[in-house]
Formats: sequence, structure tokens, C-alpha cells
Amino acid sequence: MKKNKNYLISEKFTKRHIFLTDFLSALANTKTGLFGAFVVLLMFFLAIFAPWIAPYDPTLIDVPNRLQPPNLSHWMGTDLAGRDVLSRLMWGARPSLQVGVLAVLIGMPGGIVIGLIAGFYRGSLLETILMRATEIIAAVPLLIVAVAIVGILGVNPIDLGFFTITNEIKIVFVLGILYIPGLARVVFAVASTEAVSDYIRARKTQGVRDFSLIFGDVLPNCLSVVTVWATLLTAGGVLAEAGLSFVGLGVQPPDASWGVMLSEARKFIFSGEWWLLFFPGLAISITVIGFNLFGDALRDILDPRHYTGPRID
Amino acid sequence: MWLILRRASFSVFALFIISFLLFLLTNVVPGSPASAVLDVDASLEEILSWEREHNLHLPVTEQYWIWLCQTLSGDLGESFITDRDLATEIKDTLPITLEWVSLGFGLAIIVGIPLGVASALNPNSWIDHIARVVAMTGISVPDYWIALMLISFVSVGLGWFPPGGHTPLSAGIIPHIKSLVLPVITLSLHYTAVFSRYTRSSMLDVLSQDYIRTARAMGLGRIRIWIYALKNSLPPVINVGAMSFGFSFGHALFIEHVFGIAGLSLSLLNAINELDYPMIQLNVLIVTIIFILANLSADCLNFLINPRLRRQT
Repeated sequence: MKKNKNYLISEKFTKRHIFLTDFLSALANTKTGLFGAFVVLLMFFLAIFAPWIAPYDPTLIDVPNRLQPPNLSHWMGTDLAGRDVLSRLMWGARPSLQVGVLAVLIGMPGGIVIGLIAGFYRGSLLETILMRATEIIAAVPLLIVAVAIVGILGVNPIDLGFFTITNEIKIVFVLGILYIPGLARVVFAVASTEAVSDYIRARKTQGVRDFSLIFGDVLPNCLSVVTVWATLLTAGGVLAEAGLSFVGLGVQPPDASWGVMLSEARKFIFSGEWWLLFFPGLAISITVIGFNLFGDALRDILDPRHYTGPRID
Repeated sequence: MWLILRRASFSVFALFIISFLLFLLTNVVPGSPASAVLDVDASLEEILSWEREHNLHLPVTEQYWIWLCQTLSGDLGESFITDRDLATEIKDTLPITLEWVSLGFGLAIIVGIPLGVASALNPNSWIDHIARVVAMTGISVPDYWIALMLISFVSVGLGWFPPGGHTPLSAGIIPHIKSLVLPVITLSLHYTAVFSRYTRSSMLDVLSQDYIRTARAMGLGRIRIWIYALKNSLPPVINVGAMSFGFSFGHALFIEHVFGIAGLSLSLLNAINELDYPMIQLNVLIVTIIFILANLSADCLNFLINPRLRRQT
């Protein structure tokens, strides 16, 4: 009896608690999802603690020890300037994850609000305008547009006096804006079915205002699909940052970024310094695979109805 | 039929908007392209006269109008940098990219769709596991890294194929094919993954439907059921495929960069680095047109296979 009372008092907490343990046990049941979660956590750990755990300074030039193959003091060898590849890899996790996470955070509010409003007022003029606008942005391949915009804006930091817009911030904004159409469409799909459901009609007859219906009732039902998309889009951001840096439009040398390291490694294809080429590519691949596996597992747990994820190319 | 006409007219509208947005973007960037084209010590008069020559002193809307009239009358304009006629430039680059991208894409369809079908028909079998591993690595591993690894192992290590460049057909058919093999394989790896992933999920979705169960209960042959299921699971795959074909020009950007193929995507990248605005605008527009055409043909194809769509209109 006493237990029951406690349950009632802490109902809210307990519900969340049950949800979390359910979620974790479901995640533990999928080996691939667990692996993905592990990789994601590991990469965030590396990115955050790189200054403390990296064995060397990533930009420290040490010419006598240049182009060393992997050995005990340099686990992944050294590059042309004698910089430690492992340390540069750890530091390189930073721009990748920053771009990946921040771009999603920028794109999410816009995508969610547009999708919610268009979905809730389905059939109205507002919906037509909003969804057509997203279709126009979606009519151009994302990577090409990102490359073109960053290229046109130029890679040099823009100084506004009180604030300097670095190239990374530019990439974050460009990607974030390009994420909006996709997010809007997926939120729209959920919101438009919720908007005609019985419980929403019941709430309407109770006199609840549209604003609180949209953000109080419809939004929570969209959150699972948004979570899945956010995870998969982060993987896309990591890939995009690496790609832009690889063609010289992202992080600028001598700063460490996986794409920059790969583009420097291009010069050594014919001379056989395989470690310069192998490890940065492996880092990108494992990170992206980790986010994708984690995102797929999230989708299977949270949102098994929607099979497809975002397109990030 | 009306549906397709409506889509087509909307696409044309989208093209106008996108081309205008590109114009706007090149105009909001601080600094004149003249500084990128002319010498550093060019005088103010020289810059002004150069800008006047290229109509850059006019307001954006007027510039856009002039450009639109010229383009529609068939005059694509000249490059800022090389002063070459853009039409001849495109005539050189577009066929190269179209050829190898289509080959890679075709290969991906031939391998990816059967792989997806096989894995959907035999869930959790060895072929399903292979298909899922291929799908995960294909969408996660950056293609420029795959390209670099192929060059270093297959061209440099084994010496089977040239490490880069594009040999035209006029130099003999064998060297021509040899120069295409590695880029085609690189691109097809990614899209094999995309096709097998989407075919698998769409096919699984159809196979779990009631009418398939009914067909089974009625004693229809296995092969026949598979054919029915495949036919009904193709429309989403076709839509994704069409989008992917447009996106593949974004991937081509990196692959052409690595292999040094003088195609459309590489010329876009070069134009970006040289701030050659007319070239950037035209290239992005061509990719957009290809993207839109691919989507339209997907609509037509779906219209042919799916009788439900025909009845609706």
C-alpha cells in the first residue's frame, strides 16, 4: 500500500525512469546499436579531452623525426613535418563533432517549426507556401550547394569587429540551413497525421489554443523521429566537414582536421607512407559508422514505423 | 498525367528561384570578384571598368534579367578567368562526368537491387549480413578515402589501372576503359549501399502486408509472390534512385578531385577556388537541371508501374 502511494507521488519521475531503463535494455539487446553508442561516446570523449590525453602537441613541428612509420613513441607514425599523427587525429575529432552537432542544432528549430505548422494547418495556403519553399531548397544536391556557398563566401574568417566568423561557423550555418527542408518534411509527415487524430479534435473542442496544441501535444509526438534524424544528420555533418576540409574549403592547415590530414596524405600515395592515408580515413569511417549504427538502433527502438532516414549527400 | 505536368512546371519555377538565389549570393559577398581576377596592384579605374564590362555595377535584379535573357537565347556567357566561352567549356566537361557517373550508377543498380532483394527474402541469413555490412560501410566510408586507398593499392601497388586522369575514347577503347574502372567502382560502392538498403527495407515492408499473406494462403508459387512483392516495393526505390543520381554529382566532386578527371564537378571546384562566378552559377544550374530531370523521369516511371497513381489523375 505504501509502495503504491510512493509510486503515485513520484509518478512523473518513475515514468521517465522506466522509459530510460527500457531504452537502455533495448539498446543493449542490439549489438550494433551498442557498438554505435560506444563509438559515439568515445569520439566525444576524444574531442573534449584531446588537450589532456593527446601525447604530443598536434602542430608541433619536429623535422628530425619526420615520416616515421608507426612505432612505440609515435603509435600512428609522424607526418612530413614530424607531427604526431595520433595527436592530430585526437584533435581532429573536434572540428568534425563541432560541425556535426552544431549544424543539427541550427537546423532543428527551423525544420521542426516549419514541419509542425505546415502539418497542423494541412490543406491551408500556409502549408502550401511552407512546403513548396522547402521543396525548392531540396531541389539542389546538398553537397554541391554546400561546396558552392562556402566557396563563394571564401574560406577566410570574416571579421565583424566584435565577433569573428570563422570558416567552421560558416559551414555550420550552411549545413544547418540545408538540413531544414528534410527535417521539415519528416516532421510534417508525423504532424499532419497527428493533427487529424481524435485526441487533437477533442482538445480543440475543449477550447485549447492552437499554439499550445502544436507545441504541447503534436511536438512531443514528433520528438522520436527528430531524435533519430538528429543522430543520422550528425553523421552527415562529420562527413561534410571532412569532405570540405579535404578539398580545401573547410578547416585550414596547419590546424588538425581529418579531411586536412587526408588531403596532405595525397602527396604520399606513390611513396608508400600508408599510415598517413590509412588512419585519418579510418577515423572518419568509424565515427560515421558509429553514428549511423546508433541512429539505426534508435530508430528501431523509438520509431519503427519510419524506415528511411535522411539523405546526407 | 496532370500530376506530372504540374510537377514539371513547378520544377521550372524552382529553377528560376534557385538561379536567382545563386545570383543574390554572389552579390552579397563582400569584395569584388575583380580583385580575384585582376592583378593585386590594379587601379580603381581598372577595377571599375572591369566591373562595368561584366555588368557588375548594375543592381542584382537587372544583372539577373540580363543573364536570364542571354541564357534563354542560348548565350551562356564567358568565364571571368579564362574568358573562354562557357558553352564550349561545358561541352568538354559534361560528357566526361555523365559517362563515368552513369556507368557507376548503373553498376550500383545492377548489384544493389538484387542484393537488397536477396537480403529481404532471407532475413538474418549470411547474404543478409553481407548486404547489411556492405550497406553500412558504403554509406559511411567517405568515397575520396576509398578512391585514395584504391589508387595506393590497386594502381600503385598492383599496377593494374592508371592512378588518375581521363583517357578519351579517341586514344583507344582499352586505355579509355582502364582509366574509368577505379572512379566507377568508387562511386558504385556508395550507391550499391544506398540501393540495397532501400530495396531491403521497402521489400520487407511489402512482404509483411496482408495481401502477400493472402497470396501465400491461396497457394501462389513462391517466385510469383516475389515478383509481385518486388513490383510493389520498387516505387520508393525509384524515387530514392532518382534523387541519388542528382546527388552523385556531389560525390563526383571528390572523386574527380582525387583522380584528376577534368569533368563537370572538377571544373566547378576549380571555379569555386578561382571565384569564377559565371562558371559556378552555370555548373550548379546544370547539376540542378539533371537532378530535376531525374526526379521527373522517376515520377513517369512510377506512373507506368503503379496503376494506383494512374487512377488518381
